[in-house]
Amino acid sequence: MAVFDLWLWPLLAVVLLPGLLVYFGLHVVGRGVIFVDLALAQMAALGVCVAIVMGEHSGGHPHTYLMSLLFTLLGAALFSWTRFSHPRVPQEAIIGIIYVVSAAAATVVLSRTAEGDEALKSLLLGNILLVSKAEVLRTFALYTVIGFTHYLLRRQFLRNTFREEEARRSGVPLRLWDFLFYATFGLVVTSFVQIMGIYLVFSYLIVPAVCGAVLSGRILTRLIIGWTVALVTGVAGLLMSVEIEALDLPTGPTIVCLFGVTLLLCAGLAWKMKRDQPQPGAT
Amino acid sequence: MNVRCRFLVATLAIFALVPGAGRAGGGLKVVATTPDYGALARAIGGDEITLKILAKPTEDPHFVDARPSHIVTLNRADLLIESGADLEIGWLPPLIQGSRNRKVLPGETGRFLGSEGVRLLDVPAVLDRARGDVHAKGNPHFLMNPENSGIVARRLTERFCELDANSCPAYRENLARFTERLEQRILAWTERLAPHKGAQLVTYHNTWKYFAVRFGLRSETFLEPKPGIPPSPPHLGKVIAKMKADGMRVILVEPFQSHKTAQTVAGHTGATVVEVCQFPGGLPGTDDDYFALIDAVVDAIADALGQAAAR
Repeated sequence: MAVFDLWLWPLLAVVLLPGLLVYFGLHVVGRGVIFVDLALAQMAALGVCVAIVMGEHSGGHPHTYLMSLLFTLLGAALFSWTRFSHPRVPQEAIIGIIYVVSAAAATVVLSRTAEGDEALKSLLLGNILLVSKAEVLRTFALYTVIGFTHYLLRRQFLRNTFREEEARRSGVPLRLWDFLFYATFGLVVTSFVQIMGIYLVFSYLIVPAVCGAVLSGRILTRLIIGWTVALVTGVAGLLMSVEIEALDLPTGPTIVCLFGVTLLLCAGLAWKMKRDQPQPGAT
Repeated sequence: MNVRCRFLVATLAIFALVPGAGRAGGGLKVVATTPDYGALARAIGGDEITLKILAKPTEDPHFVDARPSHIVTLNRADLLIESGADLEIGWLPPLIQGSRNRKVLPGETGRFLGSEGVRLLDVPAVLDRARGDVHAKGNPHFLMNPENSGIVARRLTERFCELDANSCPAYRENLARFTERLEQRILAWTERLAPHKGAQLVTYHNTWKYFAVRFGLRSETFLEPKPGIPPSPPHLGKVIAKMKADGMRVILVEPFQSHKTAQTVAGHTGATVVEVCQFPGGLPGTDDDYFALIDAVVDAIADALGQAAAR
């Protein structure tokens, strides 16, 4: 099949990589920190920009990856620190501020370099079609490690997200747990962004989690619904883009648009389920 | 269920309405990175080749967004024509890697580098990224000197013959026709621009150096402070001062460059903004036709310089 000839690695990327993102999506939607992924990705991008400028001035090899990691961890620290810091300031405000300031800082840092636009563009847009075997394998290995860590520590993470009061009362070092959460999340997001771009990251993170949330109250059911939604939508979008030559649709945006359609279908299904169900206390 | 069925039917209906993207043509499958090489390939290959062009004429040739068709096209190509001077370095290599086509790898007969045999300008003495997005091999916009297009056309004919001996006589015939017409037009273009010898052109990017040098004009002032770096207010201030001091009256912009910047500078200096393009199809009535493109560019520049001189 021609699909496997040219599009094997994009297809594998779409099948293997989003699983962990869907899991993080449950947390992100549960915590109500919807835009934290964009802010973390932007922090990582800022790190890369700093590395580029440093490399240019020293003439040496820029430690791009190290810098993006450092800035991601800095972002993680900021988010875990600000979660409960002020009763009248919602965390979403802090996230927005971090996003805008780091985006603007990246532009300022890069205004003196030639690679700037290219670097920023490739960091935040990615291109699923051009993903290489090495990228897919490397990212999958990283996700396996992080996924396993979260599986082992699932009780704590789930409690911290979905039963915040209980977590607070239990006296665990919540900020430390949150730092671990945002640090692993940051690693996942920044590696995913470089392959799929920022719109796809956001879609994979939020849409399957929202689909799960409207259809079920149970965490495991939500996860399974989310995985199904992500797999079907991603593969369908990729195939639609590469197989229908007459349309020649750009792959990433096609998948994002399909996610919009999927969410509508899920909402319709949820509405139907609610209507068919006997309403308790309706009489 | 009903909703999903209707959606499916609607989707299929849309696909059925879209006509096939392929263009009828002959045996040799040629891919050009940009429309200028496309126009040259068409002029030499005629109907003997099937031609596909990756970048749109109104797209910045330094940045082209990858689409599935690009990879499929490259996968099926017998010959890939590129500038050879790193113009496409930002987007072509990953596309080629994705296409899994050994025929178009660097060094193969199926890879044609436009820059070979052309004397490049602006070759940097020292390579340093701090000087901007400089091309290590020199300025890649050399097809704007029509004589370079003649050189590329001749080499392209040889390459076509090497890959497709059967149609070689047709290619040579097309080359003879192209060269004859090119020589005539160069005389006409030179004559049209002769009255403006020494006039200075302000351009957004360093795209028009070859054109200027060939036709006795000067292109030394750019709206970009360094290649690839967006104009900053201090730099534009310097450009405006220089334009006023030297009486420069014409600013060239291309479809994908910031018209707003050019217009702001024009507002301060009384200069005219002239819309040009280095690619056939980027100006009205120049589709697939190198001659029509240079005709349009020469006319636009000569008119603007003429009006500026009259003022």
